[in-house]
Amino acid sequence: MIRARHFMLSFILLLGMTSLAAANSSHLVADLSKSNIAITSGFHGTDLLLFGAVDGAVGDDILVVISGPPTNIAQRRKANRAGIWINVETNIWQKAPSLYTILATSPIDKIANPETLASLAIGTNNIGLEIAAETPVAGQSKPTANEFIAALQANMASIDLWPDQTGNVTLTENALFRAEVKLPANILSGAYNVRVMQFRNGVAISEDITNLYIKKGGLSAGIYNFAHNYSALYGIFAILFAVAAGWLAAVVFRRT
Amino acid sequence: MLASMYIYLPIAEISMHIGIIIGLGGGVGFLSGLFGVGGGFLMTPLLIFFGIPPAVAVATEANQIVASSVSGVLAHMRRGNVDFKMGGILLLGGVIGSSLGVVLFTTLREMGQIDLVIKLSYVVFLGIIGFLMLLESVRTILRTRRPGSRKTKLHQHNWLHGLPLKMRFRRSKLYISALLPLAIGAFVGVLAAIMGVGGGFIMVPAMIYLLGMPTSVVVGTSLFQIIFVTANVTFLQSVQTQTVDFMLAGLLLFGAVIGAQFGTRASALLRGEQLRGLLALMVMAVCIKLGFDLALRPDDLFSVELLK
Repeated sequence: MIRARHFMLSFILLLGMTSLAAANSSHLVADLSKSNIAITSGFHGTDLLLFGAVDGAVGDDILVVISGPPTNIAQRRKANRAGIWINVETNIWQKAPSLYTILATSPIDKIANPETLASLAIGTNNIGLEIAAETPVAGQSKPTANEFIAALQANMASIDLWPDQTGNVTLTENALFRAEVKLPANILSGAYNVRVMQFRNGVAISEDITNLYIKKGGLSAGIYNFAHNYSALYGIFAILFAVAAGWLAAVVFRRT
Repeated sequence: MLASMYIYLPIAEISMHIGIIIGLGGGVGFLSGLFGVGGGFLMTPLLIFFGIPPAVAVATEANQIVASSVSGVLAHMRRGNVDFKMGGILLLGGVIGSSLGVVLFTTLREMGQIDLVIKLSYVVFLGIIGFLMLLESVRTILRTRRPGSRKTKLHQHNWLHGLPLKMRFRRSKLYISALLPLAIGAFVGVLAAIMGVGGGFIMVPAMIYLLGMPTSVVVGTSLFQIIFVTANVTFLQSVQTQTVDFMLAGLLLFGAVIGAQFGTRASALLRGEQLRGLLALMVMAVCIKLGFDLALRPDDLFSVELLK
């Protein structure tokens, strides 16, 4: 297993990590305490442990980026029209990460300079957010693209999906690292990408990627699948249930 | 233990404290038992306030109203207070109207304007109804203090009653055009689908003042037709948008059934016009709250919605 991971790691490093330092002698292996999480009826977010080993030196930093399955996000802007505040503009951000969390041993601006972070696509400023579709209103001044991005980041942070750097990674003896990962209750199901990077003197020198799968499970999944796969039957069932419940209530509480 | 008190709602796709859901059901159930109203006009805005997506709130509340109307109509049926013929015409209109309403709802939702339309409908219709109810109950309270006041005529005939397709409604003691209840049913059906309500608060005054039905059969007949209109909304929303959250509806219902029992008992402590006056104040309060939401500058002009 460990061998296989090492092999995969080397493969990834060979294949595409051109932005990493050329002389790559270091190794990094990361794993999660749980790699499959079910959203069941009792789901209220989840905690998991990210841990791993690294061939590190004094002063090295570990940075973790967790990104959720890409989704389209509708961003709406309100303006005052005839005395009431209504949505006047919609931007659709296509394939934006539904969750974006950074954990690290230090604040990220101390780990690497902005150019390096940008070249490694770290941070929501660097993930190529582009306004794909918009419906502008004629004759109205509109905010700049940067204001839209800042608002998107703020809105997503407020619903815990793009939090500011949360939690910390602890690196012990420059060899073992661990981090508590908290995932909020409103996460989407799908494949999550967990990217762990080792930084030395502001340069990323090794990386490992692992996946986390979140899917609906138990009764919660049953109801969801019923509603989506047999929607007419679900509707009829919901009505019959309501009729039965209403009738039962009337019988039970019938005043004598 | 406390953490396990949260329940993940499979369709709303959010986690909510089970106590909040049952408490909402119980609180609104109490008020609906107290005032003899369905309570949809309170529940839907409250669900949205607690973070349930508006589409899920409206569709799920329709499902819950099916249950509360069934349980309410049984008592009226036993007393013979349901005009099935009138109810049938109203529900025919209601099914047509609510089907249109669901289509309209889906379109507005895609346009990102559903929140606005829901709030505007609430402000306009609750405002009108609340104001009229308040006026009415103040008048009644004043009149009872002045003895010797005469009783007004049950209803007056106007041009609306002269439309073609006249039908006899024996139970309501009426001989009027079927087009009138059909149109009222359709109009209330559209509102029911958009606002996530049964529409009794509009249907009941319309039956009294527009159709001229005797008050004894009004509530039972209204409840009877609400069952079908909300069942239609439940079905169409299930098929079109998959926004009926069965788990949420079930928990709300559980609280509402119990709350309504206490409400019904408490209603015996107050006089009719006092109850109506209080109800009017509550309706106005919801209207004013939603009105302020629309008129005041929001803290954040931007909002996001994850499209799945």
